[in-house]
Amino acid sequence: MIELLERRVKEATPLALPAKIHVRDLDFFYGKAQALKKVELAVPANSVTAIIGPSGCGKSTLLRTINRIYELYPDQRAEGEVVIDGHNVLDPRYSLSALRRCVGMVFQKPTPFATSIRKNVAFALSYYERLPKGELADRIEDALRHAALWDEVKDKLDSSALALSGGQQQRLCIARTLAVRPEIILLDEPTSALDPISTAKIEELIHELRQHFTIVIVTHNMQQAARVSQRTAFFHLGELIEVGETSQIFTNPHVQRTQDYITGRYG
Amino acid sequence: MMPLRRKLADGAALLFALAATAFGLIWLVWILWTTMAEGAAALTPSLFTQMTPPPGGSGGLLNAFYGSAVMVLVALVLGTPVGIAAGTYLAEHGRHSRLAAIVGFINDILLSAPSIVIGLFVYELAVRPAGHFSGFAGAIALAIILLPIVVRTTDEALRLVPNQMREAAFALGVPAWRITSRIIYKAGLSGIVTGVLLGLARIAGETAPLLFTALNNQFWSASLAQPLANVPVVIFQYAMSPYDQWHALAWAGALVLTAFVLGLNLMVRFFARRGNR
Repeated sequence: MIELLERRVKEATPLALPAKIHVRDLDFFYGKAQALKKVELAVPANSVTAIIGPSGCGKSTLLRTINRIYELYPDQRAEGEVVIDGHNVLDPRYSLSALRRCVGMVFQKPTPFATSIRKNVAFALSYYERLPKGELADRIEDALRHAALWDEVKDKLDSSALALSGGQQQRLCIARTLAVRPEIILLDEPTSALDPISTAKIEELIHELRQHFTIVIVTHNMQQAARVSQRTAFFHLGELIEVGETSQIFTNPHVQRTQDYITGRYG
Repeated sequence: MMPLRRKLADGAALLFALAATAFGLIWLVWILWTTMAEGAAALTPSLFTQMTPPPGGSGGLLNAFYGSAVMVLVALVLGTPVGIAAGTYLAEHGRHSRLAAIVGFINDILLSAPSIVIGLFVYELAVRPAGHFSGFAGAIALAIILLPIVVRTTDEALRLVPNQMREAAFALGVPAWRITSRIIYKAGLSGIVTGVLLGLARIAGETAPLLFTALNNQFWSASLAQPLANVPVVIFQYAMSPYDQWHALAWAGALVLTAFVLGLNLMVRFFARRGNR
């Protein structure tokens, strides 16, 4: 672990990259209960930002605000700004469809649709783009390759996605998201329901994807945050306590509460 | 070792449970057995090729089978789309709305409304203005009975679709109608089909609403605008008559109807199991 962290320090990328997402003065409410308080956070492009913190600290809530999926529930409400490429996407006038095409999301539990592998990947893709058959097939292959699933499913694209293993299902969900060519990918504890081998595959995949996408990952697993991310943000009780380069957060946190959490005092 | 008192209580409870089960099953087996024994005698090819006979004559139930099939089919065509649409509204779009709660409540009332009341309602609606009974009025009555069943089962089948799947689909930015039609219906299909089949089994045997609407027709009539023969009412009429041939035909009709409903239930089990896979 320590060795790994030291390695990270050495290879830590300089984060002079431009911010892809800017969260400004964000409050979030479930009914009357406030889940996020005045959150300010910049997420650099083409890197992995990990969000850590104890249960109920608001880390998933933050993710659910970025693609406005919380709007499915009328009692949930966000105040403040989430600025992506200069546009406040929380503005009700901002197109949900455009936002969610640009910001993909993968959830904790694998959620394959009850249909074939091919149709799972094609579902959103064929809504956004009218593609000729051959090109559609290429795009599906492309997405599955990117999600490191192609070799395992190329001979059974028309069989049910439900027959895949949990880890494969989760990579299928990633492929489904990649198919529409998003710019940002939100991962909400994507490996918490998976076995260690599947987890390793997904983490490897995150490394690959970082080159093309801006990734925000919520995780309970601090080792995972240390392994996959360049920046880490620590949340506690709905507040952003500390954010910085992952190596710095894990080896030399500036705030006592961060120190307590990463050394296992609570959480 | 179990103390004697517990042993006795255990044995008594088991005995009671077995007796209760047997008591319930006896009636079912008895009904099925009587229907089979009495109906099999009249189960001849002419049952399906000849019209209902006048008293003393011989014949079959062809017109009744036809009338029942047509009315049930029309009821299915009328009731299923409306029922699925309303169930979809309740489960998908109206989850947090007051209107949906009210609609769901009213649907539950309709679900338990006595079928004879529905028959009378359609009589006032479609029979009295037209001046005569008609197969179409019968189909409407059956559709009204089918409707709440389909609404309720669709609603429940869609609510069983995990919310995570909904969120995952919405997170792709695809509009709600496309998610419902391509993802949610697929996931809830076996439940919806089960509901429609159960509703079909229910309306196939309904008698009271048809007495006021389709009535009966001793002759061949293919028109929905005219009174239409149908199996339940023919059974009712023939079983109450003093003629032996009519009794035999009533039993045969009952047997066919029972076999049909039994077959539907087997199909329901098949679909329900497929959905569990």
